[in-house]
Amino acid sequence: MKVDLYNYVTAVQRMSRRNMLKGTAALGAAAAMPRVALADGHANLRAEILKIPGVGAGSPTDRDWQTVGEMCLGASKANVAEGEFEGVELTFMGLNNQNLHNFLFRGFLKPWEAYTGAKINWIDLAQADYNARLQQSIATGTVDFDIIEMGAPFEGDVLGKGLASEMPDWVKDQIDMDDYVGYLQAPVGTWDGKTYRVSIDGDCHTFAYRKDYYENADFAKAWAEEGDGSAWEVPTTWSQVNAHSKFLAGKTDPLTGLEAHGFLDPLKGWGGFGFYFLEDRATGYAKHADDPAWLFDPDTMKPRVNNPAFVRAIEEVMELVNTDKAYPADQINADPGTTAFQQFLAGTGGMLTWWGDVGSNARTSDTSVVGDVIGFSTIPAGDAVYNAATGAWEEGRNEAPNMAYIGWGVYVMKTVDGDDKKKKAAWSAAAHLGGKDLSLWMSAYPSGFQPYRNSHFNYDEWEEAGYDRAFVEDYLGSNADSYNHPNAAIEPRIPGIFQYYSVAEDELAKIYAGQYGSVQEGADAIAAAWDKITDQIGRESQIKLYKAALGL
Amino acid sequence: MENEGDLLHTVTSDQISPARIRTGRLMTWGAAALFAALALLQALHEAGHIGAGFDSWRPVLYAYLLWATALCAAQVVTRGEKGKRSLFVLPAVLFVVSLVVFPLLFGLYISFTDWNLASQNGARPNGTANLVQMWNDAFYWNALKNMVYYVLAVSVEYVIAFGLALLLNAQIRARKFFRVVFLLPLMLSPVAVSWMIGKSMLEVRFGPIARAARELGWDSPSFFGSPEMARFMIMAMDAWTFIPFMMIMLLAGLQALPREVIEASKVDGASAWQAFREVIFPLMLPVSVTAVVIRIIFKLKLADIIINVTSGGPGGATDSVTSFIFREYRDRSNVGYGTLLAMVYLVLIILFVTALLKLVSRWMERPA
Repeated sequence: MKVDLYNYVTAVQRMSRRNMLKGTAALGAAAAMPRVALADGHANLRAEILKIPGVGAGSPTDRDWQTVGEMCLGASKANVAEGEFEGVELTFMGLNNQNLHNFLFRGFLKPWEAYTGAKINWIDLAQADYNARLQQSIATGTVDFDIIEMGAPFEGDVLGKGLASEMPDWVKDQIDMDDYVGYLQAPVGTWDGKTYRVSIDGDCHTFAYRKDYYENADFAKAWAEEGDGSAWEVPTTWSQVNAHSKFLAGKTDPLTGLEAHGFLDPLKGWGGFGFYFLEDRATGYAKHADDPAWLFDPDTMKPRVNNPAFVRAIEEVMELVNTDKAYPADQINADPGTTAFQQFLAGTGGMLTWWGDVGSNARTSDTSVVGDVIGFSTIPAGDAVYNAATGAWEEGRNEAPNMAYIGWGVYVMKTVDGDDKKKKAAWSAAAHLGGKDLSLWMSAYPSGFQPYRNSHFNYDEWEEAGYDRAFVEDYLGSNADSYNHPNAAIEPRIPGIFQYYSVAEDELAKIYAGQYGSVQEGADAIAAAWDKITDQIGRESQIKLYKAALGL
Repeated sequence: MENEGDLLHTVTSDQISPARIRTGRLMTWGAAALFAALALLQALHEAGHIGAGFDSWRPVLYAYLLWATALCAAQVVTRGEKGKRSLFVLPAVLFVVSLVVFPLLFGLYISFTDWNLASQNGARPNGTANLVQMWNDAFYWNALKNMVYYVLAVSVEYVIAFGLALLLNAQIRARKFFRVVFLLPLMLSPVAVSWMIGKSMLEVRFGPIARAARELGWDSPSFFGSPEMARFMIMAMDAWTFIPFMMIMLLAGLQALPREVIEASKVDGASAWQAFREVIFPLMLPVSVTAVVIRIIFKLKLADIIINVTSGGPGGATDSVTSFIFREYRDRSNVGYGTLLAMVYLVLIILFVTALLKLVSRWMERPA
């Protein structure tokens, strides 16, 4: 679970005394338990680990991570003898930011190291340095790590270049990959039919809205007079989002008394990550259920970013740009960080798409005022979908949740392939981190990772652990619905995908600033820039890699 | 002891035998041959012409270090004390060649290659394609155009800095206190300035400046919404940071002015304005020109505030060349093209600063 989300949850349910005592008792019991007993495994291991340290009993510490790591060693012990990796040294590269990541892995792997005899050296990177460090290692042929924590969008760079080690079958069995939510199943994590990724996280954008806007009688009355005749309800299509946004322009926010606004589009780039937010608007129009591809044609790598679906999405943004007071002032300079944390959470704007952080910050952030009036759902749908194969629009509602960034995974590099002992050690470490039981703990406590297995959405376990069931069902439900959606839009895992996003942001900024004659002209400029990147990286290889990524 | 040549600076006599000279030359040329052979071998290996070779260029680097050491040692072996004298300079020369000249030449090579870090093929020479791309790159020209605006803003900064320097040079109360206070912005990192001012104080909803603007009747203040306003705000924040720098240089210049000349002008009945226009300003020209030129050089590197506050927006209105290259290089891993842009910018800066210095050279000398 993301750190903020954990804080949020504990704040939301305001820890009843009974829950607190339950957690404290569990902590006491766990601390008193002999290590051997812990490691031997329990009939009810999952319930036991969820009691460490106990929901609401403060943030877990290194001691807790080590205890949980040790309790979850059972699966590793079934495949590895004690001391089997004596003398093996592995290097692990991952993130070292406040959302824990490597901090956590250290604690989890310490008992694993003690049991197997292997030693792990750590390369800790700030998030901002991650991409540059990885790309330079690849480009200069200096891959100096054996295991890497990596996001799926980089799979094209790493797996596409044959730098990773293929997952042995025993690892697949150990981590129970069939339990992964729908979109994390193959082809994500695979390349040319071979499996490489141990998933430890899931990511998607969900739709957050202000419940008080839709419960407001004045708005409902005004909408009945000015609106299109539909009911004043939470929008489920982008057309409705825009209609509501235009309606709200110039009205007064019931919570803050300041200007009310509708949907908050980030109009400023964010190092490539801003493009995900245009995708949110576009996937409903562009992602056809019969076609896994939606950003490029897989046969030619011809960009689809200038097809009618994307142009429509951009035009809908422009529609609000050109509506007076539809956005807060200075929206042209609002990046996604601004829309989420300085605007939406601070009471400006009625609707937003974002990752889980918005929900998790709603009650814990000092500047947030919307904690009690926020609701979630999957992102809105298109009311028509563009079929790239026929070149025609097909009327009808089309949902396509955007699996933005896909989530973190653990990968083993090819550097270990020459040494069987080292290879087994590296995969055993990766499998330990991605183990089914350990992952439940990671999804329930601060870790930097979101739930990503179907077994994580067994709300009984959460309730038993001390969570408020209503909250967990509401919040995680929107994630679960997105993850398992049959028409989820999964981004291309091809080399340099963030280069495409970055250059698109530059052109979008020009479109939003009105520097192009038409949206189509601007979208064509993005497509031309994308074609240039494709040619530079190598069109034939990109086509091959894109097809491999799509599992075609 | 030799009887000819530089006897004054010669301390020891050197009777260098032909064998010793041969040894020295062998050291130099042997190490050079090894270095050249390994470099050639590795180049052919990397190009795929031969199978033999190393995993990386590191052995070639070691051969270079060996050659550099042999070259230095051979100076003493072949030339005795004269060789020792050259050792005062030679290591520094080799150091500069290794860390400045070679990277510059290598950068020049990279700038004429098609090298995207995500590409499977690594760097491939592509002739003048990057230059052509630059010529047609609206973002680059836009950034260059913005640089012209930013550089022109230095003239306003100069006027303000001069005014402040005159104030702080006058007999005012708490002069020392103000000198320190006025210097404070310069002590702040531009990154801190961009967050404190650009992202916090100027935040349109909560920022105190926006609140004040609303109080004063500006309904929905927006400091980075229109291109002109955004550019002005970037200029203002940059100016706020660096005006103290110009101010302190000008203040030092003012304090170094000969008092007799100024007093003589007063005796002759010059008004304050006349004294400034006819005496102080002309005498301050060399300092002024130095301050302005250094400030322009600073300005040409402007990037941090822009990257943090506007990312070059809205629609590229605040983009500087450096912030654009940053995006091209870091976000898009476009090493070849990004390097070319930087190289062209380097050439432009050298030409511009040289021309500027030439132009102002007549004012650089204090009137006799």
